Amino acid sequence: MHDPYKALYLHLPFCKKRCAYCDFETRAVPQDSPVISDYVEAMVMDLRREAREGRLAEVETVYLGGGTPSHIGPANLSSLLYALSVSVPLTSQVECSMEANPESLTEPLVRDMWALGVNRISLGVQSFSDPLLEKLGRAHSADDARRAVVAAQTRFDNVSIDLMCGIPTQSFEDFHESLKEALGLGVRHVSVYPLTIEEGTPFARRQARGTLEEVDQDLQALMMQMAASTLEPAGLVRYEVASYAAPGYECRHNQAYWTGRPYRGLGRSAVTMTQNASKRMRIQDGEVIEELDRRQMAAEDLMLALRMTRGVGVEALREAALLLPDAPLVFRELVQKGFLEQREGRYRPTLAGWLCGNEMYGRVLDLAP
Amino acid sequence: MSTDPKYIRNFSIIAHIDHGKSTLSDRILEMTGTISARNMKEQVLDSMDIERERGITIKSQAVRVDYTAEDGHTYQFNLIDTPGHVDFTYEVSRSLAACEGAVLVVDATQGVEAQTVANAMMAMNAGLEIIPLINKVDLPAAEPERVRAEIEDGLAIPADDAVIASGKTGAGVGDLLESVVYNIAPPEGSATSALRALIFDSYFDPYRGVVALIRVVDGSIRRGERIHMIATGIDTLVEEVGVRRPAETPMPDLSVGEVGYLVTGLKEVSNVKVGDTITTVQGGVREALPGYREVKPMVYTGLFPLDGDQYEPLKEALEKLSLNDPALVWEPEKSHALGFGFRVGFLGLLHMEVIKERLEREFGLELLATAPSVEYHVFKASGEMLSIHSPQEMPDPGEVLRIEEPYLKAKVLIPPDYVGAVMDLTVSRRGTFKTMDYLSATTVELLWEIPLSELIMDYFDKLKSNTKGYASLDYEFDGYKASQLVKLDILLSGKPIDALSFIVHKDKAYDRGKVLTEKLKGIIPRQMFEVPIQAAIGGRVLARETVKAKRKDVLAKCYGGDITRKRKLLEKQKAGKKRMKNIGSVEVPQEAFMAILKVDE
Repeated sequence: MHDPYKALYLHLPFCKKRCAYCDFETRAVPQDSPVISDYVEAMVMDLRREAREGRLAEVETVYLGGGTPSHIGPANLSSLLYALSVSVPLTSQVECSMEANPESLTEPLVRDMWALGVNRISLGVQSFSDPLLEKLGRAHSADDARRAVVAAQTRFDNVSIDLMCGIPTQSFEDFHESLKEALGLGVRHVSVYPLTIEEGTPFARRQARGTLEEVDQDLQALMMQMAASTLEPAGLVRYEVASYAAPGYECRHNQAYWTGRPYRGLGRSAVTMTQNASKRMRIQDGEVIEELDRRQMAAEDLMLALRMTRGVGVEALREAALLLPDAPLVFRELVQKGFLEQREGRYRPTLAGWLCGNEMYGRVLDLAP
Repeated sequence: MSTDPKYIRNFSIIAHIDHGKSTLSDRILEMTGTISARNMKEQVLDSMDIERERGITIKSQAVRVDYTAEDGHTYQFNLIDTPGHVDFTYEVSRSLAACEGAVLVVDATQGVEAQTVANAMMAMNAGLEIIPLINKVDLPAAEPERVRAEIEDGLAIPADDAVIASGKTGAGVGDLLESVVYNIAPPEGSATSALRALIFDSYFDPYRGVVALIRVVDGSIRRGERIHMIATGIDTLVEEVGVRRPAETPMPDLSVGEVGYLVTGLKEVSNVKVGDTITTVQGGVREALPGYREVKPMVYTGLFPLDGDQYEPLKEALEKLSLNDPALVWEPEKSHALGFGFRVGFLGLLHMEVIKERLEREFGLELLATAPSVEYHVFKASGEMLSIHSPQEMPDPGEVLRIEEPYLKAKVLIPPDYVGAVMDLTVSRRGTFKTMDYLSATTVELLWEIPLSELIMDYFDKLKSNTKGYASLDYEFDGYKASQLVKLDILLSGKPIDALSFIVHKDKAYDRGKVLTEKLKGIIPRQMFEVPIQAAIGGRVLARETVKAKRKDVLAKCYGGDITRKRKLLEKQKAGKKRMKNIGSVEVPQEAFMAILKVDE
């Protein structure tokens, strides 16, 4: 027996064009291509089947991600969202997020999304600087991004944007401008990602050829720090390594990933996590890609919790120690090394814990190798 | 029944590395029907994995083949394969002493190279008849006529009758076999005299004890007989004698002129030394065959297990390898930085690499090697002389009167265009130029005196790259000479790291220290705190670099599918860390300990 799914992810792997840094499962396909409508039709079938078999009964959050979900066009989107709304009752208790890109988020689309039950928009803005958007190979301008935020806000209160730091040639000031602009637009949620060069991307090839401007890791670290120091005083509080939100606007779907709640993924390459008390599995395209025992589950939960501001409570650590006797020792060592601080009965990441977390995550996962 | 020495031919095949010696040996075994083509593993004679992978021979081999010549007689050929590297020059000389002739293999596309010359000289000094063989003539780039001229001009060996062959296709191998019959002398020696046999290799077999490869010079050796080894003074019983075809075939005896193996039942290979003379206990001779010498290591390095628990297994592995390798010497060494390990002496850098690789591969050890060092002679004011193998043993400078270091005679062969480049390089490595000879219009021989410590840096790599790969190098030990040497310490976060210190010429200390600190800055990854790197002599700091503190090491994205990816990435990072050594609180990658070898001038 497996625990019921609490979160549902729908993957829409289509974009207007591929960005230069992107290694996601997606491809550039024209909006009117039958490839997209066929895919959506298959997804509708999947959704209905899952619902009929009762697997979506306890779903609390839904996330349409990509790719670029807004790229699939109004007709496809309507049939998908309709099928979704009859599969998962989209009450106000259910968070339903959809990713969108500025080039395809029009006002009519915003109205459709709203009407069909979406209640959160996550916009891939990345930057409010035209030269940087061009560098990234984005399909939109800074003005498109501004217009898209305003369009989203005509119906949605819960609007998030993604911003990137450490883009080649991006200055400290460039990034600061983008942060201020996000605040000026009144978004409720900002995700801040340092750019990473992934294998097989145009950026990786340019880097290998030496034609990509180098990004100083120290500057990138400073930008991540600046995100915190700019957004927090304005009321967007960091709740995870890369996530800032006004109180109450934290993304519940993402938090499901980080708190060991089972999730169902539909669509090409989407990952499903299923578990019971003794085992956790991740499944992708019908194959089990990871299988964890109880101890490994406990270690993973601790690791993921240390990526969040709330961190790990003393109680939770004590409980984990039943399976992982070395856990308290390792936590103490992480405090000593300056990755964690103990405050109000919880272990929380410090500045070093935010910026150099990998060593800490590795240590914690090592509790159950 | 013993063979009439008239029908015995003992010979060796000698060549520069990669000139096709092993392939040619294989072809001879195949063409004499000693081993069928179907059962032929490539390069049968190189039996160790490492030998086969690197295409080099480390241990000697002796294989008997029967060859029915065009004259109708069947001849006993003993084919002795010798090690192919300067590290093993002594072993080669003993193998050659077991032969009457040698086949000198020269690659038709490469021509005469340094070891061609060195091996030919050694064979000539041993009084061997040399049959030149121009190999690889099947290759499009083959220039047999040019190579023939090089052999004549450069080596003064008549090459009119040189065998033109291809080990790969087998062409010319028949000519070679006939040439062996007619040009190589049968062994001399008296069948009725007391036994004298030369040991030209020995190894330890866990089931039978030490096995030796021997050449009977006079008399004969029988199973069950008691024998005496003159240099070691040890007596033992002949448990078995026989020949390899290449499978071992026991025989009742080996008689005058014959080559074969001897099983002794002795437990230590150091009891059965290469170059020693075997005689009988009863009625034996007292005079040894000429040429015996004790083998001494030239290069020393610290070998430390990455995991402290592997100290005992490392010790056992070294014990096992020494059973078979009397040239391998070792003693425990303690390093503050690296913990417990061993100071190990080797014949040369290749020997060192091979042993380290065998320890890791055959014994599953993970080892860290410190920069190689040589044996320095330190003369103290007290009149005492210390032989030190490790920078850590260097006494306080105040106590030192003078230090001597080993020098080599090095021979470099290059095309004339590169004379300038080699001069610059070798002088910068404290080499003293001796002579220059044109061996032919295309080959110049340069003789140098150079400290061994400089040669074991990256001299050979540099030599190759500065001459587009044309240079070849050969060297021999010349003696100890006084030098202005100092110990250079490397400090990380203010603490001297013993395993990183090294001995260097005074005039070069500043440059080496500066380059090494820069190099280490590139090698030592950024840590959670700043790490200063300093190079110092005594308390005087010559150079300083700083590894900045790590500012960012975090994967920001961690959604549904990323969690698995993230776990894999962290595991990869962890595996990388495992290859590092924690010194104090600084994580130092292994390559840091070898960085001194890669110091560009």
